[in-house]
Amino acid sequence: MTNVAVRFPSIRLVVGTLCLLLLCAGCTVRRVVFNDVVTSEQVKFIRIGQTTMLELADHIGAPDEVTESEFGVVALYNWSDTKSAGLDFGAIPRLFFPYAPTMSLNKTGITPEQFQVVFDPQWTVRAYGFSRRITDEPVVWFWPF
Amino acid sequence: MLFLKPLAGIIIVLALVLTQGCVVTRGTIGEPLQEEAISAIKKGTTTMAEVVSLIGAPDRIVRGNDREIFHYYYYDGKSPAMLLLLLNFIRMDVKSDNLYVFFNRNGIAEEVVYGKRTGRTQFRLWPFGD
Repeated sequence: MTNVAVRFPSIRLVVGTLCLLLLCAGCTVRRVVFNDVVTSEQVKFIRIGQTTMLELADHIGAPDEVTESEFGVVALYNWSDTKSAGLDFGAIPRLFFPYAPTMSLNKTGITPEQFQVVFDPQWTVRAYGFSRRITDEPVVWFWPF
Repeated sequence: MLFLKPLAGIIIVLALVLTQGCVVTRGTIGEPLQEEAISAIKKGTTTMAEVVSLIGAPDRIVRGNDREIFHYYYYDGKSPAMLLLLLNFIRMDVKSDNLYVFFNRNGIAEEVVYGKRTGRTQFRLWPFGD
């Protein structure tokens, strides 16, 4: 009895670790981050009709794309944070059986975001805005329904 | 000497065990932009042909406000992954460098806009957090 009582914390640790491993079994977490996020705080300095492209680049870097539209030249800043998670229920049976079917749930959230700046012919800012609202999705969310 | 052989074996086995399931990938698009070449472009004097000889042909030519704009870019991506029997973590970090050279109607460099982000690309495995 005494021996079991002494070993109880270590048994609890082993059982706890095994439970944690079982919970994580078959989990895949993927994340792809493209470029730095441009926040609304970072672009507060922009003044319509005053801020030039060079000043913009000094503050938030060079744009990823410059293109011409019917309203003037547009500078585009792109970034994204793609999160993907999956849970494979066949991962544990595969350790014990020669064949176990793949039963997995996966979810991927691709969220391309853009900051657009329109310039007038004098290369000063005519208008600017974010194309999407930033959403704060959890990294691990495999439920696809 | 006899003691060193088993020790080396243990270290090799330990290193193999610790790194099993590790995947390290790196991908780039284009060539890194040379900052010396960029700083050699002088506004108001450097011609289009000189820019091409300094940096090479542009990746894109854009027309804006009746002017030619040369766009050069470079992408760098680093992706570590840990593929274990039951748990997989994969992360990729991609950043880009962009250079724009604006020319006036006479083909002389008028403005240079350069932004370098690839210096901050990291091999980060942990997919959670920022």
